[in-house]
Amino acid sequence: MTSPAPLAITLSYVVVVMAIGLHARRGRRMDSLEEWGVAGRSMGPVTLYLLIAAGSVSAYTFMGAPGWAYAKGVPVFYVVVYLAYLALVAWYCGPRVWAFGERFGHVTQASAIADRYQSPFLGGLSALVMSVGSLAYAVLQTIGSAYILTVMSGGAIPVWLGVIGVLSCIALYLFVSGQRAIGRTNAFQGVLMFAVAWAVGLWAVHAATGGWRLAAVFDRLREEHAAWLSLPGAGGDMSFRFWTTSVIVSMLSFMPPVWTQWMSAASAGTIRRSATWLPSYYLVILPMVMVGFIGIYALPELARSDTVVLEYALQHLPAVLVGLLGAGTLAASMSSCEPFIHSVALSYGKDVIQPLCGLSDAATARLARWLIVPLMALVVAPLAIAEPGSLVMILLIGLGFATQVMPAFIGMFLWPRASRVGVIAGILVGFVVTTAFTTLWKHPLGIHAGFWGLMINLPVFVAVSLATRPVDAAVTERFFRIAAPQWYRRHGKKVIRTHNARESAAHND
Amino acid sequence: MHRRFVLPTTLSGWGVLLAFIGLLALGLWPVIGWINRAPSWLGMPAIVVWSYAVVFASCAVMAVANRFIDTEGPDDD
Repeated sequence: MTSPAPLAITLSYVVVVMAIGLHARRGRRMDSLEEWGVAGRSMGPVTLYLLIAAGSVSAYTFMGAPGWAYAKGVPVFYVVVYLAYLALVAWYCGPRVWAFGERFGHVTQASAIADRYQSPFLGGLSALVMSVGSLAYAVLQTIGSAYILTVMSGGAIPVWLGVIGVLSCIALYLFVSGQRAIGRTNAFQGVLMFAVAWAVGLWAVHAATGGWRLAAVFDRLREEHAAWLSLPGAGGDMSFRFWTTSVIVSMLSFMPPVWTQWMSAASAGTIRRSATWLPSYYLVILPMVMVGFIGIYALPELARSDTVVLEYALQHLPAVLVGLLGAGTLAASMSSCEPFIHSVALSYGKDVIQPLCGLSDAATARLARWLIVPLMALVVAPLAIAEPGSLVMILLIGLGFATQVMPAFIGMFLWPRASRVGVIAGILVGFVVTTAFTTLWKHPLGIHAGFWGLMINLPVFVAVSLATRPVDAAVTERFFRIAAPQWYRRHGKKVIRTHNARESAAHND
Repeated sequence: MHRRFVLPTTLSGWGVLLAFIGLLALGLWPVIGWINRAPSWLGMPAIVVWSYAVVFASCAVMAVANRFIDTEGPDDD
Protein backbone atom coordinates (compact mmCIF):
# COMPACT_ATOMS: atom_id res chain seq x y z
CA MET A 1 0.00 0.00 0.00
CA THR A 2 1.61 3.27 -1.11
CA SER A 3 -1.05 5.92 -0.43
CA PRO A 4 -0.70 7.75 2.89
CA ALA A 5 -4.47 8.42 2.97
CA PRO A 6 -5.52 5.25 4.88
CA LEU A 7 -3.08 5.87 7.73
CA ALA A 8 -3.93 9.59 7.82
CA ILE A 9 -7.67 8.81 8.07
CA THR A 10 -7.11 6.16 10.75
CA LEU A 11 -4.91 8.46 12.83
CA SER A 12 -7.42 11.30 12.40
CA TYR A 13 -10.02 9.01 13.93
CA VAL A 14 -7.70 8.47 16.92
CA VAL A 15 -7.29 12.23 17.39
CA VAL A 16 -11.05 12.82 17.22
CA VAL A 17 -11.87 10.04 19.67
CA MET A 18 -9.21 11.34 22.09
CA ALA A 19 -10.72 14.82 21.95
CA ILE A 20 -14.23 13.44 22.54
CA GLY A 21 -13.06 11.25 25.42
CA LEU A 22 -11.22 14.04 27.18
CA HIS A 23 -14.00 16.57 26.61
CA ALA A 24 -16.60 14.17 28.06
CA ARG A 25 -15.57 15.16 31.58
CA ARG A 26 -16.75 18.76 31.08
CA GLY A 27 -15.74 20.11 34.50
CA ARG A 28 -17.16 17.27 36.57
CA ARG A 29 -15.18 15.92 39.50
CA MET A 30 -14.27 12.27 38.99
CA ASP A 31 -13.64 11.59 42.66
CA SER A 32 -16.56 9.25 43.33
CA LEU A 33 -17.39 5.77 42.11
CA GLU A 34 -20.83 7.00 41.05
CA GLU A 35 -19.28 9.59 38.75
CA TRP A 36 -16.21 7.80 37.38
CA GLY A 37 -17.84 4.36 37.42
CA VAL A 38 -21.39 4.92 36.17
CA ALA A 39 -21.34 8.52 34.87
CA GLY A 40 -23.52 9.74 37.73
CA ARG A 41 -26.37 7.59 36.31
CA SER A 42 -27.06 10.24 33.72
CA MET A 43 -27.07 8.78 30.20
CA GLY A 44 -30.00 9.40 27.88
CA PRO A 45 -31.56 6.83 25.53
CA VAL A 46 -29.58 7.69 22.39
CA THR A 47 -26.19 7.68 24.14
CA LEU A 48 -27.11 4.48 25.96
CA TYR A 49 -28.26 2.85 22.71
CA LEU A 50 -24.93 3.62 21.03
CA LEU A 51 -22.96 2.79 24.18
CA ILE A 52 -24.39 -0.72 24.44
CA ALA A 53 -24.45 -1.27 20.66
CA ALA A 54 -20.87 -0.15 20.04
CA GLY A 55 -19.70 -2.02 23.14
CA SER A 56 -21.14 -5.27 21.81
CA VAL A 57 -19.76 -4.75 18.29
CA SER A 58 -16.10 -5.59 18.53
CA ALA A 59 -13.32 -6.21 16.05
CA TYR A 60 -15.19 -9.48 15.55
CA THR A 61 -17.75 -7.65 13.40
CA PHE A 62 -15.12 -6.24 11.05
CA MET A 63 -12.73 -9.19 11.04
CA GLY A 64 -14.03 -12.32 12.76
CA ALA A 65 -17.59 -12.37 11.39
CA PRO A 66 -16.57 -11.85 7.73
CA GLY A 67 -13.91 -14.51 8.38
CA TRP A 68 -16.64 -16.90 9.57
CA ALA A 69 -18.73 -16.13 6.48
CA TYR A 70 -15.65 -16.79 4.33
CA ALA A 71 -14.77 -20.06 6.05
CA LYS A 72 -18.18 -21.43 7.07
CA GLY A 73 -20.98 -19.36 5.49
CA VAL A 74 -24.40 -18.67 7.07
CA PRO A 75 -23.59 -20.15 10.52
CA VAL A 76 -22.19 -16.69 11.30
CA PHE A 77 -25.77 -15.38 11.57
CA TYR A 78 -26.22 -17.03 14.96
CA VAL A 79 -24.42 -13.89 16.20
CA VAL A 80 -27.20 -11.66 14.83
CA VAL A 81 -29.86 -13.79 16.52
CA TYR A 82 -28.19 -13.89 19.92
CA LEU A 83 -27.43 -10.16 19.87
CA ALA A 84 -31.13 -9.51 19.23
CA TYR A 85 -31.96 -11.75 22.20
CA LEU A 86 -29.43 -9.93 24.37
CA ALA A 87 -31.61 -6.86 23.86
CA LEU A 88 -34.57 -8.80 25.31
CA VAL A 89 -32.43 -9.62 28.34
CA ALA A 90 -31.47 -5.92 28.62
CA TRP A 91 -35.14 -4.94 28.35
CA TYR A 92 -36.14 -7.22 31.24
CA CYS A 93 -33.10 -7.12 33.54
CA GLY A 94 -31.65 -3.69 32.75
CA PRO A 95 -34.33 -1.57 34.49
CA ARG A 96 -34.18 -3.81 37.56
CA VAL A 97 -30.38 -3.64 37.73
CA TRP A 98 -30.59 0.13 37.36
CA ALA A 99 -33.12 0.37 40.21
CA PHE A 100 -30.95 -1.86 42.46
CA GLY A 101 -27.98 0.38 41.73
CA GLU A 102 -29.87 3.61 42.26
CA ARG A 103 -31.47 2.55 45.54
CA PHE A 104 -28.70 0.40 47.05
CA GLY A 105 -25.68 2.22 45.63
CA HIS A 106 -24.30 -0.61 43.47
CA VAL A 107 -21.84 0.40 40.78
CA THR A 108 -20.70 -3.07 39.70
CA GLN A 109 -22.23 -6.45 39.00
CA ALA A 110 -20.20 -8.04 41.80
CA SER A 111 -21.41 -5.49 44.37
CA ALA A 112 -25.02 -6.40 43.48
CA ILE A 113 -24.19 -10.10 43.96
CA ALA A 114 -22.42 -9.41 47.28
CA ASP A 115 -25.42 -7.41 48.52
CA ARG A 116 -28.11 -9.87 47.41
CA TYR A 117 -26.37 -12.84 49.06
CA GLN A 118 -24.86 -10.85 51.92
CA SER A 119 -21.46 -12.21 50.98
CA PRO A 120 -18.48 -9.98 50.17
CA PHE A 121 -16.62 -13.26 49.50
CA LEU A 122 -19.05 -14.21 46.71
CA GLY A 123 -18.87 -10.68 45.28
CA GLY A 124 -15.06 -10.67 45.33
CA LEU A 125 -14.89 -14.16 43.86
CA SER A 126 -17.21 -13.29 40.97
CA ALA A 127 -15.24 -10.05 40.37
CA LEU A 128 -11.97 -11.95 40.17
CA VAL A 129 -13.18 -14.78 37.98
CA MET A 130 -15.20 -12.50 35.67
CA SER A 131 -12.05 -10.45 35.19
CA VAL A 132 -10.28 -13.40 33.54
CA GLY A 133 -12.65 -13.38 30.57
CA SER A 134 -12.88 -9.57 30.58
CA LEU A 135 -9.11 -9.08 30.42
CA ALA A 136 -8.66 -11.78 27.77
CA TYR A 137 -11.35 -10.01 25.73
CA ALA A 138 -9.61 -6.64 26.17
CA VAL A 139 -6.31 -8.19 25.10
CA LEU A 140 -7.83 -9.63 21.92
CA GLN A 141 -9.37 -6.26 21.04
CA THR A 142 -6.02 -4.54 21.65
CA ILE A 143 -4.32 -7.03 19.34
CA GLY A 144 -6.96 -6.19 16.70
CA SER A 145 -6.32 -2.45 17.15
CA ALA A 146 -2.55 -2.84 16.81
CA TYR A 147 -2.98 -5.08 13.77
CA ILE A 148 -5.08 -2.44 12.03
CA LEU A 149 -2.48 0.26 12.70
CA THR A 150 0.24 -2.03 11.33
CA VAL A 151 -1.73 -2.73 8.13
CA MET A 152 -2.78 0.90 7.61
CA SER A 153 0.82 2.08 8.03
CA GLY A 154 2.13 -0.53 5.62
CA GLY A 155 4.15 -2.09 8.45
CA ALA A 156 5.71 1.18 9.63
CA ILE A 157 3.91 0.95 12.99
CA PRO A 158 4.97 -2.35 14.58
CA VAL A 159 2.51 -4.27 16.75
CA TRP A 160 4.23 -3.31 20.02
CA LEU A 161 4.02 0.37 19.17
CA GLY A 162 0.39 0.04 18.10
CA VAL A 163 -0.46 -1.68 21.40
CA ILE A 164 1.22 1.01 23.47
CA GLY A 165 -0.29 3.81 21.39
CA VAL A 166 -3.87 2.52 21.53
CA LEU A 167 -3.72 1.67 25.24
CA SER A 168 -2.19 5.06 26.07
CA CYS A 169 -5.06 6.84 24.32
CA ILE A 170 -7.67 4.75 26.10
CA ALA A 171 -5.90 5.11 29.47
CA LEU A 172 -5.78 8.86 29.17
CA TYR A 173 -9.44 9.50 28.49
CA LEU A 174 -10.62 6.69 30.77
CA PHE A 175 -8.63 8.17 33.64
CA VAL A 176 -9.84 11.69 32.96
CA SER A 177 -13.52 11.06 32.14
CA GLY A 178 -14.34 7.46 33.21
CA GLN A 179 -17.67 6.07 32.07
CA ARG A 180 -18.59 9.41 30.50
CA ALA A 181 -15.67 8.97 28.10
CA ILE A 182 -16.87 5.47 27.23
CA GLY A 183 -20.39 6.81 26.60
CA ARG A 184 -19.29 9.68 24.36
CA THR A 185 -16.61 7.79 22.45
CA ASN A 186 -18.87 4.77 21.94
CA ALA A 187 -21.58 7.05 20.59
CA PHE A 188 -19.14 8.45 18.03
CA GLN A 189 -17.65 5.03 17.30
CA GLY A 190 -21.11 3.49 16.94
CA VAL A 191 -22.17 5.99 14.26
CA LEU A 192 -18.80 5.70 12.51
CA MET A 193 -18.87 1.90 12.45
CA PHE A 194 -22.38 1.77 11.04
CA ALA A 195 -21.60 4.25 8.27
CA VAL A 196 -18.26 2.64 7.40
CA ALA A 197 -19.65 -0.90 7.40
CA TRP A 198 -22.40 0.00 4.93
CA ALA A 199 -20.13 2.14 2.74
CA VAL A 200 -17.50 -0.61 2.51
CA GLY A 201 -20.06 -3.39 2.13
CA LEU A 202 -22.05 -1.71 -0.65
CA TRP A 203 -18.91 -0.65 -2.48
CA ALA A 204 -17.59 -4.22 -2.30
CA VAL A 205 -20.91 -5.59 -3.60
CA HIS A 206 -20.80 -3.15 -6.48
CA ALA A 207 -17.17 -3.99 -7.24
CA ALA A 208 -17.94 -7.72 -7.20
CA THR A 209 -21.27 -7.82 -9.05
CA GLY A 210 -21.57 -4.54 -10.93
CA GLY A 211 -24.80 -3.73 -9.08
CA TRP A 212 -25.99 -2.77 -5.59
CA ARG A 213 -28.17 -5.80 -4.79
CA LEU A 214 -26.82 -7.86 -1.90
CA ALA A 215 -28.64 -10.89 -3.30
CA ALA A 216 -26.48 -10.82 -6.44
CA VAL A 217 -23.50 -11.99 -4.37
CA PHE A 218 -25.28 -15.27 -3.72
CA ASP A 219 -26.12 -16.04 -7.38
CA ARG A 220 -22.60 -17.28 -8.03
CA LEU A 221 -22.19 -18.89 -4.61
CA ARG A 222 -25.38 -20.90 -5.10
CA GLU A 223 -23.81 -22.77 -8.00
CA GLU A 224 -20.25 -23.19 -6.78
CA HIS A 225 -20.41 -23.05 -2.97
CA ALA A 226 -23.87 -24.24 -1.94
CA ALA A 227 -22.59 -25.67 1.36
CA TRP A 228 -21.91 -22.09 2.59
CA LEU A 229 -25.59 -21.12 2.22
CA SER A 230 -27.30 -23.40 4.73
CA LEU A 231 -26.58 -25.05 8.06
CA PRO A 232 -24.34 -26.79 9.09
CA GLY A 233 -22.17 -24.58 6.85
CA ALA A 234 -18.98 -25.29 4.95
CA GLY A 235 -17.11 -26.67 7.95
CA GLY A 236 -20.05 -28.96 8.77
CA ASP A 237 -19.77 -28.03 12.43
CA MET A 238 -22.78 -25.73 13.03
CA SER A 239 -25.49 -28.31 13.64
CA PHE A 240 -28.95 -27.23 14.77
CA ARG A 241 -27.98 -28.36 18.26
CA PHE A 242 -24.85 -26.23 18.28
CA TRP A 243 -26.69 -23.23 16.80
CA THR A 244 -29.45 -23.47 19.39
CA THR A 245 -27.23 -24.01 22.43
CA SER A 246 -24.73 -21.35 21.28
CA VAL A 247 -27.52 -18.78 21.00
CA ILE A 248 -28.88 -19.68 24.45
CA VAL A 249 -25.49 -19.66 26.16
CA SER A 250 -24.45 -16.40 24.51
CA MET A 251 -27.67 -14.57 25.39
CA LEU A 252 -27.32 -15.63 29.04
CA SER A 253 -23.74 -14.36 29.40
CA PHE A 254 -24.09 -11.46 31.81
CA MET A 255 -20.77 -9.69 31.32
CA PRO A 256 -19.87 -7.05 33.96
CA PRO A 257 -19.49 -4.07 31.56
CA VAL A 258 -23.09 -4.53 30.45
CA TRP A 259 -24.27 -4.07 34.04
CA THR A 260 -22.15 -0.95 34.35
CA GLN A 261 -23.75 0.35 31.14
CA TRP A 262 -27.26 -0.33 32.46
CA MET A 263 -26.41 1.41 35.73
CA SER A 264 -25.19 4.46 33.79
CA ALA A 265 -28.69 5.17 32.44
CA ALA A 266 -30.62 8.21 33.59
CA SER A 267 -33.66 6.08 34.47
CA ALA A 268 -35.11 2.59 34.22
CA GLY A 269 -37.29 3.76 31.32
CA THR A 270 -34.20 4.95 29.46
CA ILE A 271 -32.87 1.39 29.38
CA ARG A 272 -36.18 0.05 28.05
CA ARG A 273 -36.29 2.63 25.29
CA SER A 274 -32.68 1.89 24.29
CA ALA A 275 -33.11 -1.89 24.45
CA THR A 276 -36.26 -1.71 22.34
CA TRP A 277 -34.36 -0.43 19.30
CA LEU A 278 -31.00 -2.02 20.09
CA PRO A 279 -31.43 -5.02 17.72
CA SER A 280 -31.75 -2.65 14.76
CA TYR A 281 -28.09 -1.66 15.22
CA TYR A 282 -27.00 -5.17 14.32
CA LEU A 283 -27.73 -4.39 10.70
CA VAL A 284 -24.08 -3.29 10.95
CA ILE A 285 -23.02 -6.93 10.67
CA LEU A 286 -24.73 -7.65 7.33
CA PRO A 287 -22.53 -5.59 4.95
CA MET A 288 -19.33 -6.81 6.59
CA VAL A 289 -20.44 -10.41 6.29
CA MET A 290 -21.28 -9.79 2.62
CA VAL A 291 -17.60 -8.94 2.02
CA GLY A 292 -16.74 -12.29 3.59
CA PHE A 293 -19.09 -14.04 1.13
CA ILE A 294 -17.55 -12.12 -1.78
CA GLY A 295 -14.11 -13.23 -0.61
CA ILE A 296 -15.08 -16.89 -1.10
CA TYR A 297 -14.69 -16.51 -4.85
CA ALA A 298 -12.65 -13.28 -5.05
CA LEU A 299 -9.89 -14.38 -2.64
CA PRO A 300 -9.93 -18.18 -2.73
CA GLU A 301 -6.37 -18.67 -1.46
CA LEU A 302 -6.52 -16.56 1.67
CA ALA A 303 -4.27 -17.88 4.47
CA ARG A 304 -6.17 -16.26 7.37
CA SER A 305 -9.94 -16.00 6.97
CA ASP A 306 -10.28 -13.07 9.43
CA THR A 307 -8.24 -10.83 7.09
CA VAL A 308 -10.76 -11.22 4.25
CA VAL A 309 -12.26 -7.69 4.51
CA LEU A 310 -8.90 -5.96 4.80
CA GLU A 311 -7.40 -7.97 1.94
CA TYR A 312 -10.40 -7.33 -0.28
CA ALA A 313 -10.38 -3.62 0.57
CA LEU A 314 -6.66 -3.29 -0.14
CA GLN A 315 -7.10 -4.93 -3.54
CA HIS A 316 -10.41 -3.47 -4.72
CA LEU A 317 -11.43 -0.36 -2.77
CA PRO A 318 -10.23 3.27 -3.10
CA ALA A 319 -7.71 4.52 -0.55
CA VAL A 320 -10.28 6.70 1.23
CA LEU A 321 -12.55 3.72 1.89
CA VAL A 322 -9.57 1.65 3.05
CA GLY A 323 -8.75 4.42 5.52
CA LEU A 324 -12.36 4.57 6.70
CA LEU A 325 -12.33 0.79 7.10
CA GLY A 326 -9.19 1.14 9.23
CA ALA A 327 -10.89 3.78 11.35
CA GLY A 328 -14.09 1.71 11.62
CA THR A 329 -12.24 -1.44 12.63
CA LEU A 330 -10.14 0.48 15.14
CA ALA A 331 -13.36 2.01 16.50
CA ALA A 332 -14.88 -1.45 16.87
CA SER A 333 -11.93 -2.83 18.80
CA MET A 334 -11.44 0.25 21.00
CA SER A 335 -15.17 0.59 21.77
CA SER A 336 -15.29 -2.91 23.19
CA CYS A 337 -11.83 -2.87 24.80
CA GLU A 338 -12.35 0.20 26.98
CA PRO A 339 -15.54 -0.90 28.82
CA PHE A 340 -13.88 -4.17 29.82
CA ILE A 341 -10.75 -2.51 31.21
CA HIS A 342 -12.88 0.10 33.00
CA SER A 343 -15.18 -2.50 34.55
CA VAL A 344 -12.29 -4.68 35.75
CA ALA A 345 -10.58 -1.68 37.40
CA LEU A 346 -13.89 -0.62 38.97
CA SER A 347 -14.67 -4.09 40.26
CA TYR A 348 -11.14 -4.81 41.59
CA GLY A 349 -11.33 -1.56 43.53
CA LYS A 350 -14.91 -1.84 44.77
CA ASP A 351 -15.39 -5.59 45.24
CA VAL A 352 -11.94 -6.98 46.00
CA ILE A 353 -9.63 -4.35 47.51
CA GLN A 354 -12.19 -2.21 49.39
CA PRO A 355 -13.60 -5.13 51.44
CA LEU A 356 -10.09 -6.53 52.07
CA CYS A 357 -8.49 -3.25 53.14
CA GLY A 358 -11.52 -1.42 54.54
CA LEU A 359 -11.00 1.61 52.31
CA SER A 360 -13.39 4.55 52.27
CA ASP A 361 -15.53 5.14 49.16
CA ALA A 362 -13.43 8.18 48.23
CA ALA A 363 -10.15 6.25 48.50
CA THR A 364 -11.69 3.37 46.51
CA ALA A 365 -12.74 5.77 43.75
CA ARG A 366 -9.19 7.15 43.50
CA LEU A 367 -7.76 3.64 43.54
CA ALA A 368 -10.11 2.35 40.81
CA ARG A 369 -9.07 5.20 38.49
CA TRP A 370 -5.39 4.48 39.00
CA LEU A 371 -5.89 0.73 38.63
CA ILE A 372 -6.38 1.08 34.88
CA VAL A 373 -2.67 1.93 34.59
CA PRO A 374 -1.21 -1.28 36.09
CA LEU A 375 -3.95 -3.34 34.43
CA MET A 376 -2.92 -2.00 31.03
CA ALA A 377 0.83 -1.86 31.64
CA LEU A 378 1.25 -5.18 33.41
CA VAL A 379 -1.49 -7.35 31.95
CA VAL A 380 -3.12 -6.13 28.73
CA ALA A 381 -0.08 -4.67 26.96
CA PRO A 382 2.39 -7.54 27.61
CA LEU A 383 -0.20 -10.15 26.62
CA ALA A 384 -1.24 -8.21 23.49
CA ILE A 385 2.40 -7.91 22.40
CA ALA A 386 3.29 -11.53 23.23
CA GLU A 387 0.02 -12.96 21.81
CA PRO A 388 0.21 -16.24 23.75
CA GLY A 389 -1.42 -19.18 21.98
CA SER A 390 -3.57 -19.93 25.01
CA LEU A 391 -5.32 -16.54 24.90
CA VAL A 392 -8.39 -17.67 23.00
CA MET A 393 -8.72 -20.65 25.34
CA ILE A 394 -8.53 -18.31 28.35
CA LEU A 395 -11.23 -16.16 26.76
CA LEU A 396 -13.49 -19.15 26.09
CA ILE A 397 -13.12 -20.36 29.68
CA GLY A 398 -13.75 -16.83 30.95
CA LEU A 399 -16.89 -16.49 28.85
CA GLY A 400 -17.96 -19.96 29.99
CA PHE A 401 -17.83 -18.70 33.55
CA ALA A 402 -19.94 -15.67 32.63
CA THR A 403 -22.85 -17.94 31.78
CA GLN A 404 -22.37 -20.07 34.87
CA VAL A 405 -23.06 -17.08 37.14
CA MET A 406 -26.70 -17.47 36.04
CA PRO A 407 -27.92 -18.78 39.45
CA ALA A 408 -26.87 -15.52 41.11
CA PHE A 409 -29.20 -13.65 38.74
CA ILE A 410 -32.06 -16.13 39.04
CA GLY A 411 -31.92 -15.45 42.76
CA MET A 412 -32.00 -11.73 42.06
CA PHE A 413 -34.88 -11.60 39.58
CA LEU A 414 -36.93 -14.80 39.69
CA TRP A 415 -36.49 -17.06 42.72
CA PRO A 416 -36.32 -15.60 46.22
CA ARG A 417 -35.40 -18.91 47.82
CA ALA A 418 -31.89 -18.95 46.24
CA SER A 419 -29.26 -19.29 48.93
CA ARG A 420 -25.64 -18.16 49.04
CA VAL A 421 -24.34 -21.75 49.28
CA GLY A 422 -26.65 -22.84 46.45
CA VAL A 423 -25.32 -20.11 44.18
CA ILE A 424 -21.68 -20.93 44.96
CA ALA A 425 -22.28 -24.68 44.44
CA GLY A 426 -24.06 -24.12 41.11
CA ILE A 427 -21.38 -21.77 39.82
CA LEU A 428 -18.50 -24.07 40.81
CA VAL A 429 -20.06 -27.19 39.29
CA GLY A 430 -21.08 -25.33 36.14
CA PHE A 431 -17.62 -23.82 35.75
CA VAL A 432 -15.87 -27.18 36.14
CA VAL A 433 -18.18 -28.83 33.58
CA THR A 434 -17.86 -25.93 31.11
CA THR A 435 -14.07 -25.85 31.43
CA ALA A 436 -13.79 -29.62 30.95
CA PHE A 437 -16.09 -29.57 27.92
CA THR A 438 -14.23 -26.58 26.44
CA THR A 439 -10.71 -27.97 26.85
CA LEU A 440 -10.75 -31.77 27.24
CA TRP A 441 -13.85 -33.06 25.47
CA LYS A 442 -15.03 -30.27 23.21
CA HIS A 443 -18.79 -29.69 23.02
CA PRO A 444 -19.96 -33.31 23.49
CA LEU A 445 -22.81 -34.44 21.18
CA GLY A 446 -22.53 -31.15 19.30
CA ILE A 447 -23.93 -29.23 22.28
CA HIS A 448 -22.18 -26.07 23.53
CA ALA A 449 -19.99 -26.64 26.60
CA GLY A 450 -21.64 -23.73 28.41
CA PHE A 451 -25.05 -25.34 27.90
CA TRP A 452 -23.80 -28.59 29.47
CA GLY A 453 -22.51 -26.48 32.35
CA LEU A 454 -25.94 -24.88 32.83
CA MET A 455 -27.69 -28.27 32.70
CA ILE A 456 -25.64 -29.45 35.67
CA ASN A 457 -25.35 -26.07 37.35
CA LEU A 458 -29.08 -25.24 37.66
CA PRO A 459 -30.27 -28.49 39.35
CA VAL A 460 -27.33 -28.32 41.78
CA PHE A 461 -28.15 -24.67 42.51
CA VAL A 462 -31.81 -25.45 43.24
CA ALA A 463 -31.11 -28.58 45.31
CA VAL A 464 -28.40 -26.96 47.44
CA SER A 465 -30.45 -23.78 47.89
CA LEU A 466 -33.39 -25.81 49.20
CA ALA A 467 -31.09 -27.67 51.58
CA THR A 468 -29.35 -24.62 53.02
CA ARG A 469 -30.29 -21.53 54.97
CA PRO A 470 -31.95 -18.80 52.87
CA VAL A 471 -30.70 -15.25 52.71
CA ASP A 472 -32.12 -12.97 55.40
CA ALA A 473 -35.77 -12.18 54.61
CA ALA A 474 -35.25 -8.42 54.87
CA VAL A 475 -32.61 -8.52 52.14
CA THR A 476 -34.67 -10.76 49.85
CA GLU A 477 -37.71 -8.54 50.31
CA ARG A 478 -35.62 -5.46 49.55
CA PHE A 479 -34.60 -6.95 46.20
CA PHE A 480 -37.94 -8.45 45.16
CA ARG A 481 -39.84 -5.29 46.01
CA ILE A 482 -37.90 -3.87 43.04
CA ALA A 483 -37.45 -6.96 40.86
CA ALA A 484 -41.13 -7.95 40.88
CA PRO A 485 -43.27 -5.41 42.77
CA GLN A 486 -46.68 -6.73 41.81
CA TRP A 487 -45.75 -10.35 42.48
CA TYR A 488 -44.19 -9.24 45.78
CA ARG A 489 -47.37 -7.49 46.88
CA ARG A 490 -49.60 -10.45 45.98
CA HIS A 491 -47.49 -13.45 46.96
CA GLY A 492 -43.85 -12.65 47.58
CA LYS A 493 -43.98 -11.05 51.00
CA LYS A 494 -45.79 -14.02 52.50
CA VAL A 495 -43.74 -16.61 50.59
CA ILE A 496 -40.39 -15.08 51.58
CA ARG A 497 -41.28 -14.69 55.26
CA THR A 498 -42.80 -18.17 55.53
CA HIS A 499 -39.78 -19.71 53.87
CA ASN A 500 -37.30 -17.92 56.03
CA ALA A 501 -39.13 -18.65 59.27
CA ARG A 502 -39.45 -22.36 58.41
CA GLU A 503 -35.92 -22.78 57.15
CA SER A 504 -34.36 -20.81 59.97
CA ALA A 505 -36.26 -22.90 62.50
CA ALA A 506 -35.15 -26.11 60.77
CA HIS A 507 -31.52 -25.04 60.69
CA ASN A 508 -31.60 -23.88 64.31
CA ASP A 509 -32.89 -27.31 65.31
CA MET B 1 -45.42 -23.79 43.55
CA HIS B 2 -46.19 -20.97 41.11
CA ARG B 3 -46.12 -18.51 43.95
CA ARG B 4 -42.52 -19.35 44.77
CA PHE B 5 -41.24 -18.15 41.40
CA VAL B 6 -41.78 -14.73 39.93
CA LEU B 7 -44.43 -15.02 37.27
CA PRO B 8 -46.65 -12.43 35.61
CA THR B 9 -49.61 -11.31 37.69
CA THR B 10 -51.60 -9.62 34.92
CA LEU B 11 -52.98 -10.65 31.56
CA SER B 12 -50.71 -8.20 29.75
CA GLY B 13 -47.73 -9.53 31.70
CA TRP B 14 -48.53 -13.05 30.51
CA GLY B 15 -48.93 -11.74 26.98
CA VAL B 16 -45.46 -10.18 27.06
CA LEU B 17 -43.95 -13.37 28.49
CA LEU B 18 -45.55 -15.52 25.78
CA ALA B 19 -44.42 -13.09 23.08
CA PHE B 20 -40.84 -13.28 24.38
CA ILE B 21 -40.96 -17.08 24.42
CA GLY B 22 -42.36 -17.05 20.88
CA LEU B 23 -39.51 -14.78 19.77
CA LEU B 24 -36.95 -17.11 21.27
CA ALA B 25 -38.55 -20.04 19.47
CA LEU B 26 -38.17 -18.22 16.13
CA GLY B 27 -34.38 -18.26 16.36
CA LEU B 28 -33.85 -21.78 17.67
CA TRP B 29 -34.37 -25.38 16.62
CA PRO B 30 -36.84 -26.69 15.39
CA VAL B 31 -37.88 -23.46 13.65
CA ILE B 32 -34.34 -22.85 12.36
CA GLY B 33 -34.28 -26.39 10.98
CA TRP B 34 -37.45 -25.69 9.03
CA ILE B 35 -36.13 -22.36 7.73
CA ASN B 36 -32.86 -23.99 6.71
CA ARG B 37 -34.76 -26.21 4.25
CA ALA B 38 -36.06 -23.25 2.24
CA PRO B 39 -33.86 -22.71 -0.84
CA SER B 40 -33.74 -18.92 -0.70
CA TRP B 41 -35.85 -15.85 0.05
CA LEU B 42 -35.48 -12.57 -1.83
CA GLY B 43 -32.47 -14.11 -3.58
CA MET B 44 -30.64 -14.59 -0.29
CA PRO B 45 -30.12 -17.66 1.91
CA ALA B 46 -33.26 -18.15 4.01
CA ILE B 47 -31.24 -18.11 7.27
CA VAL B 48 -29.95 -14.61 6.46
CA VAL B 49 -33.42 -13.17 5.86
CA TRP B 50 -34.83 -15.03 8.86
CA SER B 51 -32.09 -13.77 11.22
CA TYR B 52 -33.01 -10.19 10.40
CA ALA B 53 -36.71 -11.02 10.64
CA VAL B 54 -35.95 -12.09 14.23
CA VAL B 55 -34.11 -8.79 14.77
CA PHE B 56 -37.06 -6.66 13.66
CA ALA B 57 -39.59 -8.88 15.40
CA SER B 58 -37.61 -8.32 18.63
CA CYS B 59 -37.87 -4.55 18.19
CA ALA B 60 -41.59 -4.82 17.46
CA VAL B 61 -42.36 -7.03 20.47
CA MET B 62 -40.45 -4.77 22.85
CA ALA B 63 -42.10 -1.66 21.38
CA VAL B 64 -45.55 -3.19 21.93
CA ALA B 65 -44.57 -4.41 25.41
CA ASN B 66 -43.54 -0.86 26.37
CA ARG B 67 -47.15 0.20 25.93
CA PHE B 68 -48.26 -2.20 28.65
CA ILE B 69 -45.85 -1.20 31.36
CA ASP B 70 -44.81 1.83 33.30
CA THR B 71 -41.81 3.13 31.38
CA GLU B 72 -40.25 4.80 34.38
CA GLY B 73 -39.82 1.77 36.57
CA PRO B 74 -39.54 -2.01 36.53
CA ASP B 75 -43.14 -2.34 37.61
CA ASP B 76 -44.17 -5.27 35.50
CA ASP B 77 -43.65 -8.78 36.72
